[in-house]
Amino acid sequence: MTPWLDNLNALATGLFLLTAFGMVAMRQVRGCLNLFILQSVLLAASAVLLGLRYSAGDLYGVAIVGIVSKVILLPWLLRKTAPAEIYTRREVDQVLNIPTALLIALALVILSYFLALPLLNAVAPEFRGPNLPIGIAGLLLGAFTITVRREAVPLLLGLLAMENGAFLAGIALARHLPLLVELAIATDGLIVVFIVGVLTRAIQKQVGTTAVGEMAHLKETPAGGEAPR
Amino acid sequence: MNLCLLLLLPLAATLLVCLPANKYWAPGVTLVSSLMILVGVMRLAWLMAAGQSVMTGWNTGLLHGLTVDGLSVLILLLIAFIATTAAIFSIGYMEHQILTPWKRRLYYANYNLFVFSMLAIPVLVDPTLVWIAVELTTLCSALLVSFENTHEALEAAWKYVVLSLMGAGIALFGFLVLFAAMQTSGRGGAYTWSGLIAAAPAMPPVLLQAAFLLILIGLGTKVGLVPMHTWLPDAHSQAPSPVCALLSGIETTTILYVILRLFPVLHAAPHGHADIWAMVLGLISVGAAAFLLLQVSDYKRLLAFSTVEHMGIILTAVGLGASVAGYGAMQQVVSHAVTKSFCFFAAGAVLLVTGTRQIAAVRGLIGKSPLAGAALIFGGLAITGAPPLAVFLSEFTILKAGLTARHYLATGLLALFIVIAFFGIMLHFNRMVFGAGSDQASPEGAAFPARRGNLPRLPWSCRLALFVAAAPVLVLGVYIPPPLQNLLTQAAAALKG
Amino acid sequence: MLRMILYNVLQVLVVLGFSPLAAGVLNRLKEMVQSKHGPSIFQPYRDLWKFFHKDEIVSEESSWIFRFTPYLVFVTPLFVTLLIPVLTTYPLFFAFMGDMIAGGFVLALGGFFAALAAVDTANPYGPVGASRTRMVGFLAEPVFMIVFFTVSFVAGSTIPYIVQEKWITPPANFFMPSHVLLMLAFLMLILAEGGRIPVDNPSGHFELAMIDESKSLEYSGPGLALMKWGGYMKLFVLMCIFLNVLVAPWGLASAPSSGAVLLAIPLVLLKIFGFLLVLIVIESSLAKLRLFRIAEFLGAAFITAVAAMMMQVFLVGR
Repeated sequence: MTPWLDNLNALATGLFLLTAFGMVAMRQVRGCLNLFILQSVLLAASAVLLGLRYSAGDLYGVAIVGIVSKVILLPWLLRKTAPAEIYTRREVDQVLNIPTALLIALALVILSYFLALPLLNAVAPEFRGPNLPIGIAGLLLGAFTITVRREAVPLLLGLLAMENGAFLAGIALARHLPLLVELAIATDGLIVVFIVGVLTRAIQKQVGTTAVGEMAHLKETPAGGEAPR
Repeated sequence: MNLCLLLLLPLAATLLVCLPANKYWAPGVTLVSSLMILVGVMRLAWLMAAGQSVMTGWNTGLLHGLTVDGLSVLILLLIAFIATTAAIFSIGYMEHQILTPWKRRLYYANYNLFVFSMLAIPVLVDPTLVWIAVELTTLCSALLVSFENTHEALEAAWKYVVLSLMGAGIALFGFLVLFAAMQTSGRGGAYTWSGLIAAAPAMPPVLLQAAFLLILIGLGTKVGLVPMHTWLPDAHSQAPSPVCALLSGIETTTILYVILRLFPVLHAAPHGHADIWAMVLGLISVGAAAFLLLQVSDYKRLLAFSTVEHMGIILTAVGLGASVAGYGAMQQVVSHAVTKSFCFFAAGAVLLVTGTRQIAAVRGLIGKSPLAGAALIFGGLAITGAPPLAVFLSEFTILKAGLTARHYLATGLLALFIVIAFFGIMLHFNRMVFGAGSDQASPEGAAFPARRGNLPRLPWSCRLALFVAAAPVLVLGVYIPPPLQNLLTQAAAALKG
Repeated sequence: MLRMILYNVLQVLVVLGFSPLAAGVLNRLKEMVQSKHGPSIFQPYRDLWKFFHKDEIVSEESSWIFRFTPYLVFVTPLFVTLLIPVLTTYPLFFAFMGDMIAGGFVLALGGFFAALAAVDTANPYGPVGASRTRMVGFLAEPVFMIVFFTVSFVAGSTIPYIVQEKWITPPANFFMPSHVLLMLAFLMLILAEGGRIPVDNPSGHFELAMIDESKSLEYSGPGLALMKWGGYMKLFVLMCIFLNVLVAPWGLASAPSSGAVLLAIPLVLLKIFGFLLVLIVIESSLAKLRLFRIAEFLGAAFITAVAAMMMQVFLVGR
């Protein structure tokens, strides 16, 4: 049973990595959301598999909380708060073109491996496995998504993907995190979606765009000069 | 005072301000709740300073209880004080901004929630819960930053939220690594600050250091440490002035407190190396901020950069060695909080009177509105460390400690940057207050319509807030009351571990 | 020894004989998905028969390359068939001649000459198609390389017979992340190299949008037949490599008896049928990409392949 669970968990993390790449590159906003949901499902799957593997019941709770909050509530909440037309949007130009962005993302994954190595060597063997390096990669790729995206919803999903990455590493490292904390973190994710959704709506109303990455009124100008207003 | 009550008060106030009532209801409730918190926290601080054990309230296993020590009481005290003065300032100031009852409810509800989230940070002891409280401070203040609903305010709020949450994501990973380090250490106490200190000697150094760096970077983003500071001048300048006072004066410090909590843990471990990281990052922040604030054109941004500088000073001080400069660092925490909030009140008063945020558009303020002008120049002198005010005393203590500890290079650089910042800020403020020259028309998109000729008088509440806020700035420069001194010593001791 | 040679020849005959059938089934299924009746699944055979009985017209402007290419396009897949496991899990007589990389190069040789031949005639559409094929080829090349590297990294070999065993011993290995991701990457490669839908539309008749088809525009009669048949066989061989080497050697004969080998024929065809169904799902649910989006499609394949390798590195590190 053990090799099956190990391999399946590794597979879940591998596909998790792929979704993280996808979120860097995916043009359609809706596709991005679907990728994020898939990623959350894979996170939950990894939690269940690790739970089975190490008979750690806490992890089932993590999986359930993750599914309920990120797969069910989050898309619903996003639909309620953010303007609806956002879903039909395609992002034509990102900050970098897609192949370049993907290559940088690849470099980040390699970097995350080297970041993970010393940590892996420091923890007990049962905590080793692909979760930690992939989690770090998810964290870095989420941050990278935020830097290359301009549209509001993909940016938000990048933020949540960072949290997913941290959690993917977390379920391997901190297996017995109290469920209360998990619940609180999940709720926090929902508040993030709510606040960002409200902000996005306000920005769309006031500025007339949801490409928030293009807002650049706030800049430094030399003292005495007229500020660009 | 029960610590639970402390957290429930702002929550109750949040609910109460949502009730439909006349326009004095929401500010009144907020003020009363802030005052009650202030009184409660002062009593707590008094007991703490007297060395008595403090009630801890609601000690269930779930949250590992709520506990305070000298360091957290100090932070609580500052939060309560600034929340009160900002609540007073809001009464008059926000009447110029709030147009509808709905907007008023939104402002005060968010205000109280924001205060709640900040109060939660020092009293919680489980690091992951503290992380959630940190997230809540971002989320509760996001709508306050965007309150004016202009393009700039929304952009600032967006940057603030995205970068803070990015940092929070990194910090979350750091806290999880810390949890893993604690599990690996085999000393399975509760995952609390004190439990961490107990487990630190047995933790794998790599994990501990990785966790520390991740948290330093992650939460450092929210503190505004330099490579991650880009959002701070925007958010801290675009928010309404009382909110700026909270954000700049105390929110940054509260988040910095979380980082400071890790220092005793790293000191307890064999190979901590926390000090050198703190010193390097702190000096970078001070230096970069000192040079960056030379070229700003918006006086609220100027103050925001000064916040970056002061956060750097505190971190550097801690890095100089908690045993030598810990007291100075704590003193700096206090003096920065009270002074910076005063400065933002002064800036708010100037904004109210002139209607522009541009430095170049304000000249000869002292002749037009003596109170606003005097407040601004006083605030400028106070924040840059002119004697005999609070910041001067604390910076002096830090520099002296640095020399005692034989960190000549770091201390020299710190002194140099402080002097540069002094000239940068005073140059601008001097021109604004005393400078001759025509009033330029205020550019479009300013928060207030330009006022010419008859300048409006400041509302009574703003005057009151200015005077109340100025009191500690003046007093703490020459005399630190023994209870506070006691508290500072205890806080510095908590820093040492 | 003789038996091994016989099996090897049988393998070639299977590819030769059934590759048009696979193409026919694919076309028919696709039409059925689009609610059309579609041609008979044996239509490719009839086409080939028809072409072989027609006269061939060769442009006066063309050189020997144009005449030589159909034979090469026809022979290269057959040559690769000698190297790879089509019916058996054990190496046959000629398997020693090359590994997967050699197979890839031999297939690429056919493609290279097809492109040259397309440029050889003065038809304006030929060079357009040839340059596009080369573009796809250049982009697919690194992915192929990474796939092979990863395979050799995981299995410790590039000999297909060794690789295929790796995925199922122990059976849990089938779910190794590197294996699944490699399958995904190779699937995308098949779509690109076989000229299937997100990259190229094989049933399109609009010359300006053509990629693969335009290379054989100038051919007629037996030449065209060989080009077509070569194309069918190339897809068939790619599918065999994918299904037998990269997925799992299920259904292949592991015993040297002739009964087992004969039984493997329908099983392998069944596997290929299953794969065709997957292909249909992909082709019917996606639209053809614009030309410059192909780079992104293959970029995704590249990322998948590298992710497979990274996963292996991560797992070795544990």
